[in-house]
Amino acid sequence: MSRHSVRSPWLLHFNAGSCNGCDVEILACLAPKYDIERFGIVNTGNPIQADILLITGPITKRARERVVELYVQMPEPKVVIAVGACACTGGVFRGMYNVENGVDSFIPVDVYIPGCSAHPEQIIDGVVKSLGILAGKNKEMEFPTQLRGPVTIDRGQVDRRGLAGSVASLEKGCTNRGTEN
Amino acid sequence: MSYWIAFPAIIAAPVLGGLLHGADRVIRARMQSRKGPPLLQPFLDLLKLLEKRQFIVHSYHALLALAHMIVLWVSIGMLFFNSDLLMVIYFHLLATLLLVVAGYSVRSVFSNMGATRELVASLTYEPVFVLCVIALFTQYGTFQPAGILTSANPPLYTLPFIFFALLIALPVKLKKSPFDISEAHQEIIGGVEIEFSGFYKGVLLVSKWLDYVYVYSFLYLFSGGQLGLALAIFVGVFVLLAAVDNATARVTYGEMNRITLPLVIILVVINYVVLSIQRVAI
Repeated sequence: MSRHSVRSPWLLHFNAGSCNGCDVEILACLAPKYDIERFGIVNTGNPIQADILLITGPITKRARERVVELYVQMPEPKVVIAVGACACTGGVFRGMYNVENGVDSFIPVDVYIPGCSAHPEQIIDGVVKSLGILAGKNKEMEFPTQLRGPVTIDRGQVDRRGLAGSVASLEKGCTNRGTEN
Repeated sequence: MSYWIAFPAIIAAPVLGGLLHGADRVIRARMQSRKGPPLLQPFLDLLKLLEKRQFIVHSYHALLALAHMIVLWVSIGMLFFNSDLLMVIYFHLLATLLLVVAGYSVRSVFSNMGATRELVASLTYEPVFVLCVIALFTQYGTFQPAGILTSANPPLYTLPFIFFALLIALPVKLKKSPFDISEAHQEIIGGVEIEFSGFYKGVLLVSKWLDYVYVYSFLYLFSGGQLGLALAIFVGVFVLLAAVDNATARVTYGEMNRITLPLVIILVVINYVVLSIQRVAI
């Protein structure tokens, strides 16, 4: 049980190919009008000190390794929030050659916040909802659903050298995603 | 300070510092017409960090963070136990250097850059603290806090320009805007803190609180032990620092040295000249 994370969740915000619409709304939450610091939330730029990963955008092929890398670098307990229609399903970009159709094709997502773009009120609601999920988690390790290479554990941590596998191995392993055909 | 007050004060130093940090966050939020986090938020942050899974880069790096906190605590203990003020300052510098070595010991560009900036920042504020102590010595003839605190006229009245010089150095020491170059959260993501997580990030958080205690106990010396004056100094400096932190943008480290050092040296020289004229007149 993670009791204190609920009172002091630190955010990490990552733009995985978003149009900046959702990013502006996330920053609006942090600004004085919506003020999510009243929940003890701080926007850190550092994955190893963060509890909540906010991802916007449909995960472009350039961004997917970064998303997995950031997720692996976050210490447990942690939650992932997909912000906006693109991050949830791929949105208007779904099925295009350069995107990966949402965050959940690479890492497990705890809360989906739909909307194009998501309203600040919705984002606050989603973050507060994720705190309940965070409270139920513990230090047990969580893994990305897909890495570029095989997942290996080295001295209690995900071995990130496995991430540097070839693109070909990824394409081979990912035939179940992508276009709906 | 008698031993019976000093001992509990040293034990309670991190708690006092944490409350100061929490109050600082609240007052900054209120200045921006926000509600802000609860007063005890720093303690909640600490508890959270203690229960996170730990990532350690290498054991030496983690040990240096721990050593940083302990040496900082020792320097505060020395201040409370009426030790030599110069020794207190050098112990404090030692704590900073341990953190700098920790920053250089990992292969992170931001960490290395933060360590360099930490050194530049200490180059800016340490001379001010040393000059301040030397001025106190020339005025009161002692390097010990007790001698200053028991004198009839408080240093704030006899050394006002030195106090202003210290005020200029405080944002550098406490890593506040416009001189928060060594932390710079949007720019180098906390500098030397970047590779610390979990328990060891908590240790650095406690060191930050101890820094608050160190600075405010130094300001207490300027009240000469008069509680009303001490309270006025504390509240005034606290609100001033928060206001300046809110109202200003970060400068570069070159600009920081160009702004602070000449100003501080001029203020100190003015104070020495005034004092010597007073002596001649008497």
